[in-house]
Amino acid sequence: MCSTELSEGLLSILRKLKSVPDQEVRILLLGLDNAGKTTLLKQLASEDISHITPTQGFNIKSVQSQGFKLNVWDIGGQRKIRPYWRNYFENTDVLIYVIDSADRKRFEETGQELAELLDEEKLSGVPVLIFANKQDLFTASPASEIAEGLNLHTIRDRVWQIQSCSALTGEGVQDGMNWVCKNVNAKKK
Amino acid sequence: MKISDTSLKWTSTVYHRRMLFQVWLYSYCICLWRCLKFMVRKLTGRCELQRICYNNKPGANRTMKIETSLKNSKNKLLQTAVSVHPDTIEKIIDDILILKKISLDINPQLGVSLQACLLQIVGYRNLIVEIEKLRRESFDSDNPEHEAMLLKLWCFLKPGIPLKDRISKQWTEIGFQGDDPKTDFRGMGLLGLSSLVYFAEWDTASALQILSDSHHSKFREIGKKELSNFNKAEWEKKKFDKAIGYSFAIVGINITDLAYNLLISGALKTHMYNVAPEAPVLKHFQQTFCYLIHEFHKFWIEEDPMDIMEFNRVRNKFHKKILKQLQNPDMALCPHFAASKNPNTTLVLNPSLEHSVISHRVCEHTSSFPLNRI
Repeated sequence: MCSTELSEGLLSILRKLKSVPDQEVRILLLGLDNAGKTTLLKQLASEDISHITPTQGFNIKSVQSQGFKLNVWDIGGQRKIRPYWRNYFENTDVLIYVIDSADRKRFEETGQELAELLDEEKLSGVPVLIFANKQDLFTASPASEIAEGLNLHTIRDRVWQIQSCSALTGEGVQDGMNWVCKNVNAKKK
Repeated sequence: MKISDTSLKWTSTVYHRRMLFQVWLYSYCICLWRCLKFMVRKLTGRCELQRICYNNKPGANRTMKIETSLKNSKNKLLQTAVSVHPDTIEKIIDDILILKKISLDINPQLGVSLQACLLQIVGYRNLIVEIEKLRRESFDSDNPEHEAMLLKLWCFLKPGIPLKDRISKQWTEIGFQGDDPKTDFRGMGLLGLSSLVYFAEWDTASALQILSDSHHSKFREIGKKELSNFNKAEWEKKKFDKAIGYSFAIVGINITDLAYNLLISGALKTHMYNVAPEAPVLKHFQQTFCYLIHEFHKFWIEEDPMDIMEFNRVRNKFHKKILKQLQNPDMALCPHFAASKNPNTTLVLNPSLEHSVISHRVCEHTSSFPLNRI
């Protein structure tokens, strides 16, 4: 009796493990060059971040988190590569936009790129998380200031969030990813 | 319950037995290996180090075997010999010869051969330290030396064209991402910049050619089927894409990372031990970089990628190809350019030392290995 109960219990656990595969989520990581996208990607995958080089093309990593399999696409942010961003829009579940909070000179440029992304038909309704990165730097602007500068409060067609973080120290990254996991299925049709 | 209990016990016993067997097999093999070495030593009258030197020509073949032999030795003196200061090598060799009871009168060249091997082994380790230090040094705009190096790169790659401003869109012409290159060196630090400068300075013709090719990606025939999938706007975009190629400086920094990884992982030992007759130094690393970027460029064209987005795929394939080549102990990533044509000026950093060592040496193999007269 005991053995049958035990084996049935074990079997049901095994079955559960097998029958509920993690939901696959496609995450697009965009932003200007030197915003810290690749560092963030490596930080998410718990990899070494001391040997990063500028991204030519793209990097992709899969991370398991809270019952999701996050497929994160990190596309180079160099001006020459930006025209290729559109090739990766399809089926995106969440857009993560990374900003170098200390690079005030390019706030306008990064705002423009973000506005263009939010106008893209293929990204309509896709939840967007904005990482105000590099908060470890003395000269970094606070997230609230960036939100105001970019007029984020005018975004009405999707859920969005701005999260201050430092991809270098890892601070704030997990908070942002928690938001991502909560809003994976919040795409407005 | 009973059944699962027994089966659990059974599997754990099997597991333990298997582990015990592996431990036993391991110690048995070591024991057998030591006995074999002892017997061969008695039969030939030569110790393992001697046998390696006699049976292998100078270069990676010999040095790598010596390195393994020293590392695996149970004697402390031999174990630590691979990490001594270069200046103490001569004394270490004397100690080893005494320890192994080898008379220099009967084996005159053994000491010299061992010394050359140790110089290479210790040199490789020191080179790693030196390269790591350079890599960790971030590019600093306030450091006049760093700035001078950056401007030097501009002068070599854009001869006769003045830089209008330190912060200028012109930097993108040599393949930096934006108007200030300082943010592009990142994890490769000063190592990335010094590699690029070395390439542009010593292999200028090749660097200029690759830079020019990187601007004008070669024309690709687009198949009819592919063409029918484009609407006009897409076609315009594709045409525009064709002219992109890749970003020279950024790719250079990426290839620095590749060379650095080869060095750190030890894969580059084959090459270094084959090209550096004495200790490998920074210059050897930089020449390897020149070779790698040149080869990568060729590989990129052969791979015929659709666009820059395929960069990491091509890079990984190239990395695997080089790793495979380096498994061959005779492999040297031969520099192809003028800077290395005259070995007396490039490979020998300290001519007086080279001369004094070589004059005491007996040539063993020179045919396939003209530089390594050990």
